[in-house]
Amino acid sequence: MKSRLLNVLAAAIALAIPVLAHHSFTMFDTTKQITITGTVTEFQWTNPHSYIEIDVPDESGAVKHWSIEMGSPSILQQSGWKFSSLKKGDKTTLVINPLKTGLAGGFLNTATLPNGRMLGNGPGRGPQK
Amino acid sequence: MKTILCAVLAVVFSSVTLLPAQSTKTPDFTGVWGTFTAGRGGGGDPKLNPPPAGQLVLKPEYAKPYEARRAVEAEASKRGEQLATSGAQCIPYGVPTMMSVAVYPVEMIQTAKQLTIISEAFSEVRRVYLDRPQAAIDDVAPGYYGRSVGRWDGDTLVVDTIGIKPSVSGYRGMPHSEQMRITERFKLLTPDVMHDQITIDDPVVLEKPMVYTLAYKRLPNYEMVEFVCDNNREYVDEHGVVRMKVKDK
Repeated sequence: MKSRLLNVLAAAIALAIPVLAHHSFTMFDTTKQITITGTVTEFQWTNPHSYIEIDVPDESGAVKHWSIEMGSPSILQQSGWKFSSLKKGDKTTLVINPLKTGLAGGFLNTATLPNGRMLGNGPGRGPQK
Repeated sequence: MKTILCAVLAVVFSSVTLLPAQSTKTPDFTGVWGTFTAGRGGGGDPKLNPPPAGQLVLKPEYAKPYEARRAVEAEASKRGEQLATSGAQCIPYGVPTMMSVAVYPVEMIQTAKQLTIISEAFSEVRRVYLDRPQAAIDDVAPGYYGRSVGRWDGDTLVVDTIGIKPSVSGYRGMPHSEQMRITERFKLLTPDVMHDQITIDDPVVLEKPMVYTLAYKRLPNYEMVEFVCDNNREYVDEHGVVRMKVKDK
């Protein structure tokens, strides 16, 4: 059984693998997930990636700004996103993989929109539409 | 009455005799095509999956630096870093890489004289002329898309491409010279599944031609999404590592 599985894996590896669209995700710590809740300052529906700019208050009330990378519009629409899904002033909760550098940035896993709907970040990343 | 019957039979017979001609009609690839085995349009009959890719065999003088570069990239990846690539800098992929970028589809528009292929990723466009001969390699200005001409081999469109400049990355980042020649065989396995068998030949760099096949599934009604790379927040730092800009306040 094990050897059969290995053969299947070997065959899969031998197939032509599509090139990455833009960059790999090694800059993000995919072993960590953190949750941030705050107010959207800008939703950038752009290529090669979309971004959520968000102000996140801590327990003392001090605000920290985060930049959250997402897939491209083409990828995001497969998870139900639209250019108008978020707008300035919206309250949202994001689950992200943080940047390994410790800077206030990350890669989106899921977003909970003001209407309570949870969206992922493209095929294989969170809920699909 | 007998005359009418003969006329009807003649019409039916002529229709039947026309059938073989219709069945040899060249296929129309017009439409939007997504990756067959993953992403949009995934799944399907495994018999329609592409055959395994061939082996990339570079001449020794090119194999050493290529393998060394791959090793450096792998080490960087282990450290959690990605070294600069053309894609991370929003530089187009060119031919043949643009034919398979992540899960982005390609759109094909076919007329009697030309096949136009548009990749959604980076909005890349290539044109395959179907009504003229190929030029000599030395007469084509090296670029991202080169010069492509096509001819029909039965139900298969055979596309010949020359004029890809060496800085345009080839299969898995393989090096190539200005003498590279790419032969693609486009074929419909079913009305909705297409294969593009790609053969890269380069007498300067390769010991033997590199062959691999891409499989596509038709995406009916899909509307191509605009992709203009005007908000690239990835940059390359002084160590050649890809980083993301954040908006500190």
